[in-house]
Amino acid sequence: MDTPGVTIEAVPTPEEKRSKQPARPYSGALVVVEGIDGSGKSTQLHLLKRWLEVGGYRTYFTEWNSSPLVKSATRRGKKRHLLTPVTFSLIHAADFADRYERQILPLLRSGHLVLADRYIYTAFARDGARGCPVDWLRNLYQYAVVPDVTFYFRAPLEVAIRRILSGRPRLKYYEAGMDLGLSLDPVESFTKFQGLTLARYDQMVQTDNFVLMDGTLPVHQLQQKMRDVVGGHIELKRFKNSG
Amino acid sequence: MTEPIKRESAGNDGQEFGETTTAVTEASESGEGWTTDTAASRMTVGLPTRDRSELSGHLIVLEGTDGSGRSTQIALLTEWLESQGFAVQTMGLRRSFLIAKDIDSLLAKNSVTRYTLALMYATDFFDQLENRILPALRSGMIVLADRYYYTLIVRAAVRGLQHDYLHRIYDLALPPDLTFFLNVRPQISFEREFQKSPAISFWEAGRDLHLSDDLYDSFISYQTMIRKEFVALAKHHGFTTLNGENPIRTVNADLRKQIASYLGIKNIKYRPSHALVHLWQ
Repeated sequence: MDTPGVTIEAVPTPEEKRSKQPARPYSGALVVVEGIDGSGKSTQLHLLKRWLEVGGYRTYFTEWNSSPLVKSATRRGKKRHLLTPVTFSLIHAADFADRYERQILPLLRSGHLVLADRYIYTAFARDGARGCPVDWLRNLYQYAVVPDVTFYFRAPLEVAIRRILSGRPRLKYYEAGMDLGLSLDPVESFTKFQGLTLARYDQMVQTDNFVLMDGTLPVHQLQQKMRDVVGGHIELKRFKNSG
Repeated sequence: MTEPIKRESAGNDGQEFGETTTAVTEASESGEGWTTDTAASRMTVGLPTRDRSELSGHLIVLEGTDGSGRSTQIALLTEWLESQGFAVQTMGLRRSFLIAKDIDSLLAKNSVTRYTLALMYATDFFDQLENRILPALRSGMIVLADRYYYTLIVRAAVRGLQHDYLHRIYDLALPPDLTFFLNVRPQISFEREFQKSPAISFWEAGRDLHLSDDLYDSFISYQTMIRKEFVALAKHHGFTTLNGENPIRTVNADLRKQIASYLGIKNIKYRPSHALVHLWQ
């Protein structure tokens, strides 16, 4: 096994040569929303998307866990409860890599405004809450570009839980964090697991420059702030459709 | 069962990840019935290298390029070790229940990107490690691995992924007790692979790398790149390198000698049974 941090002496790969060059080899922009379930992030990203589309900007929406690639393996693992924290994390990392390499990066390279419902921070928060080492998780996603803006929608745990439970009462095994053995009761387990995930997100506000959004504010008020921040961070006219 | 004499790179054992982690329990490894004992004790992850004291078995790895004779040697070593009274479990890549089939179908379609493939192989590896290898080692078995994560690092590295990235993924894996590298020149690999099946496959020739339109050239170039990476890894990790071009029985005698000395087996004499004697010729 290696001494941590020591790279072996082998042929440098093209990536290793490239890593010395300046970052951001693309003309697009990436806007990300993060937060626990029930924080209101998806609603807000949807409204932002509408605004940009109606405004005539080249936008593309992508969401976590939507690649058909590892669907059967994920389904098999989840159905039969075969996943450990490490394999749960890796299978989602494979899924993300597929979407990143085939969708997100090409869209950024071709100058799109990419809107992502969840990004690498979801893995840091959720898999971190499952017990995977943070350094290990950060390394797994090290190739992914840092977003231009990351909105973190934060709602108090009770509020988020109430929103989720009123909508769909049947919680899935991994979703509820049942694999951690926090509780035999799915609702109690879900609440505890979301609490652990929330704490992980909170830690990233500083380290990852999250724009904190108070998920308890009225929808239209939050959306106004979101549009102001996007307009302030990103030169939107670069994304205007020419047609 | 003899005590482990020495664990390769034991220095990794005490590595801290800054997380509240303890060894995962049997129940979670079995893949079913995650028992729900106290919440605190379950805030753990199956970090395979965390606690090795409970592993009474031994992990022996054979690495090498295509056609280096690994599988043949594993078959012979299994018979020999079992004849010596050791319980043996074998492992290989792409054999996990979880994801092996999905990797097969991806490879068949050749539409997968390099990070995705590397991570799916990693999933396959850790699924086997956590659900098969660790339980076998806990019950005192000898695990003979036909390839280990080193192959995965080598394959991904020649496709341009960073070595550091790859090594850090496998920081969570269990370092083997013994690792042998069967070193064979690409020309010999070609001869042997061609004897096994009448045509060279897309992946054996590294066709996704577009090295050459000529399949033989492509095979040789690809296997040369792979071998170069292996030689660097072997040096870095201190693998025992064996000349895989020697006759099977010579290589097998070398392997038996080293394994016998590690496990404390006195008698290294061995003649394959009737079922395997054809491998000896």
